[in-house]
Amino acid sequence: MRKILLTSAVFGLACAGLLGYQTVKAQDQELSPEQEIKLVQEFNRMMAEGINPGEIWAEMGKEAFKKYNLDKCDFGLGPGKVEGAFAQLPRYFPDAKKVMDLETRIGWCLQQYAGMTPEQVKKFVQQCWGKSQCMGEYDAIVMYMSMASNGYKVNVNLKDPQVKRMYEMGKQIYYARLGPWDFNCATCHAGQSEVRIRATRLWSADRPGEAGHAVATFPKYLVRWAQPMTMHFRYSECIRQMRWSPFEPHSDLAVALSTFLYGTANGTEIKVPSIGR
Amino acid sequence: MKKTLLLGLLAIGLVGISPAQQKKQPTKKEAGVKPEEVRQVLLSGFEKDQRFRWKLEQDESQRICSQYPSREAMPAQAIAKVIELENKNIKYPQWGIFWGDWQEGKKLVDNPRGGRFASYGFADKPTDRGGNCYACHLIEKGVPGGTMGPQLTGYGKRYGITKENMNTPEGLEKLKTVYNIVYNAWHAFPCSSMPRFGYHGVLSPEDVMNIATYLLHPESPVNK
Repeated sequence: MRKILLTSAVFGLACAGLLGYQTVKAQDQELSPEQEIKLVQEFNRMMAEGINPGEIWAEMGKEAFKKYNLDKCDFGLGPGKVEGAFAQLPRYFPDAKKVMDLETRIGWCLQQYAGMTPEQVKKFVQQCWGKSQCMGEYDAIVMYMSMASNGYKVNVNLKDPQVKRMYEMGKQIYYARLGPWDFNCATCHAGQSEVRIRATRLWSADRPGEAGHAVATFPKYLVRWAQPMTMHFRYSECIRQMRWSPFEPHSDLAVALSTFLYGTANGTEIKVPSIGR
Repeated sequence: MKKTLLLGLLAIGLVGISPAQQKKQPTKKEAGVKPEEVRQVLLSGFEKDQRFRWKLEQDESQRICSQYPSREAMPAQAIAKVIELENKNIKYPQWGIFWGDWQEGKKLVDNPRGGRFASYGFADKPTDRGGNCYACHLIEKGVPGGTMGPQLTGYGKRYGITKENMNTPEGLEKLKTVYNIVYNAWHAFPCSSMPRFGYHGVLSPEDVMNIATYLLHPESPVNK
């Protein structure tokens, strides 16, 4: 196991070196066709060989989990119990009097048990946003926790009125048209007919199974940035592309969206980390 | 005879409308969430910088469109209301409807960064001018594009624009129709996925005219 990790680490660094010329603000840059092709080839090779550098983060996350006293944190199955915890989130937490998804809960526990202020938590979360080849402890914790639920099926308790309420809010927000380009989530991710944005095939919440496949695989390792992407980072990127205002991680908006998406994904097996271009 | 036909049409209309309304009602009731609460949750998800606030204000049409998952699910009244509102939201270049410069239009169509705001940190204005049209449309032959919007290859040719008729009133009327759709897609296709580029000021009337010219002009590569 160690050896595999080490080789994949070396491999990860090597491919990071390959991508080295895409520096800090990776999202801002348009890739040339040659770079694009190179990335796709790299991606295909990793897929074929079953390599996922994202797993390196899990090892790091295990240490960070203890370092930040998260073993005192109750993720819904009892303090420090990690296995299968991700599968039953979001859920209602009586101690916080709120519905929370995995990342919001981690943020809350960081405040409770690691003595962080909300500003520090936000900085901690956004450490790797907009960068490439960034080894963030937060991403590592999320990766560790999500991977501990591999093989479990998403099981959000929609019978809980609090969760149900959040689900309905998330559903309405999914269809809320907003901003200077009139977009909502459903502009891209709804409907029965299959559409593409340039070369990217879009998943739809209306086609059975696709929402599950889309969300039960996060955090996802992205070859183009050589780092994993957590769900809240994904929301932030979507919202940026929709030309809305900058996104606030761990907000009620994120929880509402998570509740709607994971609620829709109920029954899907969790497979983390997935790998993407 | 006429009366029965009319009644029949009315009945069909009612039947057509009512399922959509019935579908909408129960979700609202069982949810038990008020629009204000949803709005509050939505606003909680953004940075509190007041300079961004204008982006989060919904206008009347956006509010109507937010209530329905798709146009097929919209009742006729809502569709009519959006059309009525959006017909008022079209402005024209100060010199009126005349052919623009298709080469300028091509630049705007090709630009993938159009209308983007700076990724992180503050930006109030788009960084580039452009429509990112290829994201959703296939336009020039052989250039990759998206399939979310209708295919626009050979658009002017298909629409019957030729060198001879392009400056006749009929030709200019067609130009105006396309101009209107690019400027404010919702006046023709309420709640369409296509942003209202002109209405939001992402593209100026002159930009929109150049894009319409690019799509229709017989010399443009779209129609080759």
